[in-house]
Amino acid sequence: MKKNIRVVIARLGMDAHWRGSIVVAHALRDAGMEVIYVGNQMPEDIAETAVQEYADVVGLSTLSGNHMLLAPEVVRHLRARGMKQIIVVLGGTIPPDDIPKLKKAGIVEIFGPGTPLEKIISFLSGSQ
Amino acid sequence: MSKRKVLFSPDSIEEIRQKKEKWQKKTPSVEKTGQGIFNTLSGLPVNRLYSPEDIPQLDYLQDVGFPGEEPFVRGVHPTMYRGRSWTLRQLAGFGPPEETNRRYRLLLKEGATGINGVFDYPTLRGYDSTDPIARADAGRGGVSIDTLEDMRILFDGIPIEKISSSLVTCQPICNITVQSMYFANAQNRGVPLNKLTGTSQNDFLMETAITIAPEVLPPRFSFKLSCDAIEYCTQHVPYWNPISFSGYNYRESGCTAIQEIAFVFANAIACSEELIRRGFHVDSFAPRLSFFLSAHNDFFEEIAKYRAARRIWCRIMKDRFGAKNPRSLALRFHVQTAGVALTAQQPLNNIARSAYHGLAAVLGGAQSVHIDGYDEALCTPTELSALTALRTNQILQLETGVTNTVDPLGGSYFIESLTGQLEEMIVTLLEEIDQMGGIIKAVETGWIHRKISASAYDYQQAIDSGAIPVVGLNCYQAEDEKLPMDLFQVPETLRIQEERLKRIKNERNASKAQRALEDISRCCDEGRNLMEVLVESVKTHVTEGEISRTIKSCYGTWNTPLF
Repeated sequence: MKKNIRVVIARLGMDAHWRGSIVVAHALRDAGMEVIYVGNQMPEDIAETAVQEYADVVGLSTLSGNHMLLAPEVVRHLRARGMKQIIVVLGGTIPPDDIPKLKKAGIVEIFGPGTPLEKIISFLSGSQ
Repeated sequence: MSKRKVLFSPDSIEEIRQKKEKWQKKTPSVEKTGQGIFNTLSGLPVNRLYSPEDIPQLDYLQDVGFPGEEPFVRGVHPTMYRGRSWTLRQLAGFGPPEETNRRYRLLLKEGATGINGVFDYPTLRGYDSTDPIARADAGRGGVSIDTLEDMRILFDGIPIEKISSSLVTCQPICNITVQSMYFANAQNRGVPLNKLTGTSQNDFLMETAITIAPEVLPPRFSFKLSCDAIEYCTQHVPYWNPISFSGYNYRESGCTAIQEIAFVFANAIACSEELIRRGFHVDSFAPRLSFFLSAHNDFFEEIAKYRAARRIWCRIMKDRFGAKNPRSLALRFHVQTAGVALTAQQPLNNIARSAYHGLAAVLGGAQSVHIDGYDEALCTPTELSALTALRTNQILQLETGVTNTVDPLGGSYFIESLTGQLEEMIVTLLEEIDQMGGIIKAVETGWIHRKISASAYDYQQAIDSGAIPVVGLNCYQAEDEKLPMDLFQVPETLRIQEERLKRIKNERNASKAQRALEDISRCCDEGRNLMEVLVESVKTHVTEGEISRTIKSCYGTWNTPLF
């Protein structure tokens, strides 16, 4: 039997908006994935949680504008732990100019405002 | 309640009903347009046509009345916008305080009639900009405030004795300190507290259910801080609205229109009960309880929502709390147009969206209105976007003629019927919350989190399926869209705040600052009102972070039951 995809969902830094991350968490769970929702954390703690939880995916959420400072740090901390196989995706209000920079830093996909839930589900299902 | 006098006789209602049935049968096919389902955004069915038979029980004097009189459905002032326009209160805040001060001055120069100041994520959560978990968010989403000196700079040159300031201090942990800084700054400028006008947000649901960040205060203590501020203002700052129940933000988190109003009232009921328990008469504080509501996409439902809310509030205050002062019975509110309804796609479309939202707000009788910037789904508004929003508000006020008469939609069969239906749904939900032991229980058990996230999920699924059309997003999308404008860049904040904090800490009297923190700690332990201590403590230049840590070390923190 194929193992369920395990996803750690975290909000970056101090960002206080939870609607997007919770809605995505519900949708992924309804799609049969195992979701670990950790709330607000800093990059190192997020990476540590992902390792402890045997995550396949880390889903980051932020609307505050802190993504350029914090999202690449999550990738860096995962790589420092030798966890290249854990993919990192990001959702939130991300200005278009930042997207290529984030991808270069190792964020595999960015889901902007208005992304249909189905698109996120199929992206994560296809990534495994 | 005196005997009800309905507007239409049962005979004429019956005749209208029969004729309407015949009329409807003649042209059934029009019902096939769209998907054949006509609902409001919160799910109430909408008929093809409304007539007297939809409001057969309406008693004009008891249920609607005159503006400025019970039950205030038609508005809280007898002359409404003919006598006094709504306040043009455009939200502003970003970066270090000197930058936001410049934006305040610009908006006032261009005709804004009130300050509406929003604070950055660390400030809202009680952290200094330099805290390791706060550094990446300094100056984001609002202005950064660490000490009294920042507050001095923020309002430098702004006539705070004349102009009203709304402080978007959402979380009580933030409000208790930042509001104290505002008051202390006024005293330092020689402005007595009883001359200040303004509003603080100060809503414990904001801290424990609506926006979540690290180290949340337990609901009971967040609620206590909120009530401390109300108590203090009732005694010392009589023209200040010490709380603004933030239905707007509940809505942004995913609530329906019905939940938005039920949850603000459940919160206001809890605050009123607590203030009465502390020995205050309802009429001493209720006139200063204020509300902050959303204007979302469903035009008529929003208008009916404001009208229903005024009727419910009047009855709660009168029947439940025995309020006598007409100001206690009159629901006053600020409206912000729904940020959640804006799209990042084809962002200039948001100018039209927000204008419709603003129109609903004033047709619903709002006391003050913020219209969103067109770029708010992408970034903090640029100067151009903020000015365009202010101009949209001014066009509404000066060009459309909506200010000429009071409650122009009152008496519409549809609006009166919808007002009644919404009232019924809201009251039912309020009773459910009462039965579970009130709003604090609803938060502690995670009931409210489940309700809001379920509504948010339903709404997103309806957009994804196309059941709710969103132009530019799930229909009329543009291919290869290029952004038609520049995005806002947050000015350098952390370095400026870090340097200023360092200077302030070096210059302040360390033992005085230490004593101030000890006073705060003692005050928490003894369960006294923290505001009394804080308005003085902040003058020793203790930082917001130091104060919050002191409070949290006494009250502890809480894990939010979000998922």
